[in-house]
Amino acid sequence: MTRKALAALLACALMVLGVGVEAQGPIRVGASLSLTGTYAKLGKNVHEGYQLCQKDLNAKGGLLGRKVEFVVYDDQSTPATAVRLYEKLITEDKVDAVMGPYSSPVTEAAANVTEKYKKVMVAPMAATTSIFKKNRKYIFMVISPAEVYLEGLVDMAAKKGLKTVAIVNEDTLFSKAAAAGAADIAKKKGMQVVFTEAYPKGNTDFSGLLTKLRATNPDVVAAATYFDDAVALTRQMKELNVNPKMYGVTVGGDLPEFYDTLKQNAEYIYGATQWEATLPYSGNKEFFEAYKKDFAHEPSYHSAAAYAGCLVYAEAVRRAGTLDADKVREQLLKLEMRTMFGDYKVDADGFQTAHKMVTFQWQGEKKVTVWPDDLAQGPARYPTPPWTQR
Amino acid sequence: MLGQVIVSGILSGALYAMVALGLALIFGVMRVINIAHGPLLMLGAYCTWLLYVGLGLNPLLTVPVSMAVLFVIGLVLQRTLVFRVVDAPELSSLLLTFGVSIAIVNLAQLVFTSDLRAVEYITGSWVIGRLAFSKPRVIAFLFALGVTALAFLFLQRTRLGKAIRATSQSREVAMVCGIDVGRVHMFTFGLASALAAAGGALLAVIVAIQPEMGGVWTFKSFLVIVLGGAGNYPGALLGGMLLGLVEQLASLFLTTQLSEVVAYVLLVVVLLVRPSGLLGGRQT
Repeated sequence: MTRKALAALLACALMVLGVGVEAQGPIRVGASLSLTGTYAKLGKNVHEGYQLCQKDLNAKGGLLGRKVEFVVYDDQSTPATAVRLYEKLITEDKVDAVMGPYSSPVTEAAANVTEKYKKVMVAPMAATTSIFKKNRKYIFMVISPAEVYLEGLVDMAAKKGLKTVAIVNEDTLFSKAAAAGAADIAKKKGMQVVFTEAYPKGNTDFSGLLTKLRATNPDVVAAATYFDDAVALTRQMKELNVNPKMYGVTVGGDLPEFYDTLKQNAEYIYGATQWEATLPYSGNKEFFEAYKKDFAHEPSYHSAAAYAGCLVYAEAVRRAGTLDADKVREQLLKLEMRTMFGDYKVDADGFQTAHKMVTFQWQGEKKVTVWPDDLAQGPARYPTPPWTQR
Repeated sequence: MLGQVIVSGILSGALYAMVALGLALIFGVMRVINIAHGPLLMLGAYCTWLLYVGLGLNPLLTVPVSMAVLFVIGLVLQRTLVFRVVDAPELSSLLLTFGVSIAIVNLAQLVFTSDLRAVEYITGSWVIGRLAFSKPRVIAFLFALGVTALAFLFLQRTRLGKAIRATSQSREVAMVCGIDVGRVHMFTFGLASALAAAGGALLAVIVAIQPEMGGVWTFKSFLVIVLGGAGNYPGALLGGMLLGLVEQLASLFLTTQLSEVVAYVLLVVVLLVRPSGLLGGRQT
């Protein structure tokens, strides 16, 4: 009897061990994302990008012979919650790796945690330069920095001979940097910045700001926005009859929902994007189709960057042959890679230097790439007619 | 510029006044500070959006429907939960309505998702000289004035309205006079929710809506009734207009970021100088 029991126990132990040898269980990748709150719309797209990457990696046999599995929590779009969640992911859940959260402010906060525990974090959703210039060792940038978001708009305006620009921004890390970058570029191109103002996150009433802006009668309105404020700002520009010759926003303006929400009022509006489904990078079409099939809507650049960031991390792990943070870090610093999102290459600070932005304009319910010239699908519809004549 | 800002201030002021009147009613009659007021407003906004998108109803016609729906929700809330804290210390009512508001917001996130929704009904503006009168805001303004006027008429003229005011002045005396205080409480909560719903329905035409839009309205309404005098109904009207103007003027002369600071500094000043509000409290 005892012998039988012993044998059974031994068999059990062997089975457990055997399983352990064949596969060590999945590589668990932790992230907090803004699934609710102000950034929910975009956070969800990032989540889907990660999910698709997980699926595609696993379909190709996983990473280092192990399955990849994302562990995602909701940070409600607040940096403080993200800090707590990354702490939990690393110390309690003991995840093998982490990926970045959505938005610069949240990444800035979370980076303190990942840095403390020496975890490599590829942060595909942080576009603020300062995050990467604080002597952090383990954080890597994927997208173009905030400062160049409005470059296309300003450059086109300068080429058309426009003289004055008004710049407004949400008073958060990313938007401030985008606004400052736009002001710099405008001055370099000989334009005059006639109005600047920041508004708090979550602001819904822009009447005071727009009234002042209208009084300066700018040729160009450059708005460093997220999604909700971009929508509110546009509606209220129409309500207050503010008529610049060109009006562009940064983040949010590229989402299909931007047009769905604003309908024909979105026409003529310029937006900047890190990525478009139509850009001729290899694997882009396949990514677009697979994403649409899985999530029943089109990917935004957030989805694409998240997916690409995940691929970049996976490639570095593959080259390092281990999950060891310092070895993966070395590979990430050396890596030069072209994904469906464009080029990846970072400087010694992990700051992105290879990736390119494009500017589009909403024309007849579609985004048409209008800048830079070598990627443009067509000319911009210029000038933007006054609201009363549409 | 100043003219434009005053126009914008008055236009939003009427909306503030109407929504705050609901909060003032509940506080006056039950001494309950209803944190869920803003989330109820949000439900009103979604009612309008659903009717507009689902049935293609004219958004302005949906205002009474949203009000009716939220009136019933208000009744149920009062009957099942709020009546329990009417005589309890004010902290209990704060906690209860805080919990209710979290529940409402999260349910709304589940049902409607956090996506921005918009009712693209009337956009743009009437331009008169240098002044732009935003079409949706002017319409919302007129509606808000109308609804507020009706609510006042109701409070002044009808038997039930008088019963509400009597209960608000002294519950004991009202009871002695044969007023069914329980019923008055229920009705008041329903009416207040309907006022919030009207605000939400009109807001849906002005701005894009999402489940978390309500929170700021709880605070603004609170600000308005403190300015006007807690429990003082005409005071809510004055407070609403005042808040609208102060916000706009502050964003003109200072910055958009400071406009809310100014509004809340005003709150502190009023509390220091005239703790019972500009028109004094509870003189109904």
